[in-house]
Amino acid sequence: MSGAAEPPVLLLVDDEPRILSALQRCLRREGYEIVLADSAAAALRVLRAQRVDLVLTDHKMPGMSGLELIREIASEWPGIPRLLLTGWTAEITPAEARRLGIRALVAKPWEDADLKARLRDALAGGAGEGSRP
Amino acid sequence: MERPSKPLRPAPDEPLSAPSVVVALLAEPGGSTAQRSEQALVRLGAEVEVSVHATAPELVRQMRSGGVDLLVLDGSLGDAVQRVLAARDPDAPPALVVAQGADEKLALSVFRRGAADCVALGPDYEEVLAVAALEQIQRFRAAAERGAAERRIRWLERLHEAIVEEIPAALAVVDARGRLVTVNPEFARCFDAPPREVVGRRFQDVLPETLRESGAIGRLIERAAAGHAPELRLARMRDASGERAFGVRAQRLDEDRRVLLVLAEVTLTEALTKELATLRRFGENVIENVNSALLVVDLEGRINYANPAAESLLGEKPIGSLWRWFDGALRERLVERTLREGVRFRGAEGLIARGSGERVPIGTSCAPMVDPDGVRRGAVVIFQDLTEIKQLQRQVLQAEKMASIGQLAAGVAHEINNPMGFIHANLFQLGEYVQDLARVFEEVQGLRKAAASGSLGEVARAAERLESVASELDADYLLEDCAKAVRESLEGSERIRHIVQDLRAFSHPDGSERSDADLNECLDSTANIVWTMMKHVVMLTKDYGELPPVRCFPMQIKQVFMNLLVNAYQALEEAGRGRERPGEIRLRTRAARGGVQIEVEDDGVGIPSADLNRIFDPFFTTKDVGVGTGLGLSIAYNIVKRHGGTMRVDSEPGVRTRFSIFLPRDGGEVAEEAP
Repeated sequence: MSGAAEPPVLLLVDDEPRILSALQRCLRREGYEIVLADSAAAALRVLRAQRVDLVLTDHKMPGMSGLELIREIASEWPGIPRLLLTGWTAEITPAEARRLGIRALVAKPWEDADLKARLRDALAGGAGEGSRP
Repeated sequence: MERPSKPLRPAPDEPLSAPSVVVALLAEPGGSTAQRSEQALVRLGAEVEVSVHATAPELVRQMRSGGVDLLVLDGSLGDAVQRVLAARDPDAPPALVVAQGADEKLALSVFRRGAADCVALGPDYEEVLAVAALEQIQRFRAAAERGAAERRIRWLERLHEAIVEEIPAALAVVDARGRLVTVNPEFARCFDAPPREVVGRRFQDVLPETLRESGAIGRLIERAAAGHAPELRLARMRDASGERAFGVRAQRLDEDRRVLLVLAEVTLTEALTKELATLRRFGENVIENVNSALLVVDLEGRINYANPAAESLLGEKPIGSLWRWFDGALRERLVERTLREGVRFRGAEGLIARGSGERVPIGTSCAPMVDPDGVRRGAVVIFQDLTEIKQLQRQVLQAEKMASIGQLAAGVAHEINNPMGFIHANLFQLGEYVQDLARVFEEVQGLRKAAASGSLGEVARAAERLESVASELDADYLLEDCAKAVRESLEGSERIRHIVQDLRAFSHPDGSERSDADLNECLDSTANIVWTMMKHVVMLTKDYGELPPVRCFPMQIKQVFMNLLVNAYQALEEAGRGRERPGEIRLRTRAARGGVQIEVEDDGVGIPSADLNRIFDPFFTTKDVGVGTGLGLSIAYNIVKRHGGTMRVDSEPGVRTRFSIFLPRDGGEVAEEAP
């Protein structure tokens, strides 16, 4: 986690722009710097180019899926906490989520307060059972 | 058939008296002998015909052609007379020879050759000839009559002998003391009783006891002997060949109370009659008790027979014309194919109106009814009430559709949850925005109050507070984003509405009758639904050709498409893990001869060749529990078959799988069979 002076950078990944828009709206007052990506490929480009403190990604996306992106991050940037936003919880088992170091599974539609709390916890290094190498 | 030893010709029925008397005269035509002879013969009566012949062969020809009663030969013709006499056979008409005066030598020679008499050509020639001729003719006629009667008797005797020998009935004559007088060969054969051994013995000792008693033959013979009219009795006996049955009659033959006993074996007839009765009873039982309605109609469609099932299905006793119940396509098919062309068909479905006016779905099979000579007489029409079957079919289809929808649920839920996600978040935000804006509005109210107070200082302070709150809350942004959030949420709810509408299209069942459908439209709308679940992993290529309308149950056809698409999607999903490019589903439709061809191809995992011939079996599945019902392809296959179509699959494991469906334009309304 970076110094207190700089706001945490959140990378939000979803192929649905309306979701990104709603997430932005929700996190407007949370004091984060928000970066958006509309695909896993775009997210990887961002990760390579700049500092990112947390990734929140959708699962079902054309091309590379959210899970595949998380798998990539787990191996390339294991320190970055990652959260999966899912349309249908059955898409991933809790065991698989643990193995990939996923801090939280957030189901759509989400509750704003709940989402905000999970993000804060993840940034603080709390909650979630992801292993930190 | 004639036997050489005993020729049996038709009964001789030559007339015993000829209508006229024919005399053949050998003399020089126009000569005095001829003239005097004719005058003499005419005296015998008007019916005498005389034909004069100049030569022997001419006369012999007439004699042999028959009907001649007398020959009169002019002795002066010498050799010719001898030739005629020589040509006579024993049955030939008598010959009178005319001698020129008393010619002893001539008389001697002609008598030796069989002439009946010699008449001298003297002055009383005419009288003498007439008398001699009459005598000869009468004698000849009498002899001919005797001969004919004898021949007739001989013929009748032979006929009698032949009948007695050949008749397939055992005959025996029994005298007044009950002794056998004579038996025929059939009697000997039937009772193993050679005539030589049994004649003279009592019939009770010859006939098997069981036979005698069962038919009360003794009493039968007594009654016949007493002059009672013949009566028929049935008698039975048992021997090595099993039980035998005989029809027995007895008839008195003469005053000596001899009786003819006739025993005709009816074992086979009886067995056949029994078998026939059994068969008839069997047929009647089957036809009367079978659940299918059965009607027999003639070539005009008039009902000749209806079984009880037909009566109960139609709700009344069917009388008159079948066309009262069978109309439209059913009637046309039956008349044109079965009654006119003699073609059998089965599986035709249609609706018939019962007596109560209620329409009942039926399945019918018709076969031409042909008599033993091969002539078409009508048709046998069998039909069943399909109401329950249709209901069950609809239930199964509906259940499977629900299962398919269950498989779609994951995709659909995702598709709905995306817009739900942002709508929900946006509404929550809008709520916060309203609170923020309410704070701004509070300051606006403060400003209005200050303005009303008239104090410039108050106004300036209120304006400052308003400015501070508005900028703190970023009111301009709020207003702008409020509109944006509403717009985006409306768009999201519109998307949800669409998805739900598409789903609804799958939840209502078809009506009971086929309708004309555009299969491109059916395929496309189905693909759109399934697409919601697969768009992240699948590229969908549509290649639609111009299609004629197809008569079908559109919802069922959509279900076929859905099952194939879901199947293709699952194959791709299985193959897609760890694959770079998305999978592809190619849809292709084309008009084909008599119908349409539809292909659904995917480049997913493929089907191992060992499974290829099982994939249409019900409950065959390679998927995990809960993923597939194992009914999808089986149901698709059956729907296609019920529409008279075919479904084929070919697959290269790991490369592609292609399902090809052919559907006929009439949607298989009637399935036909060669005659």
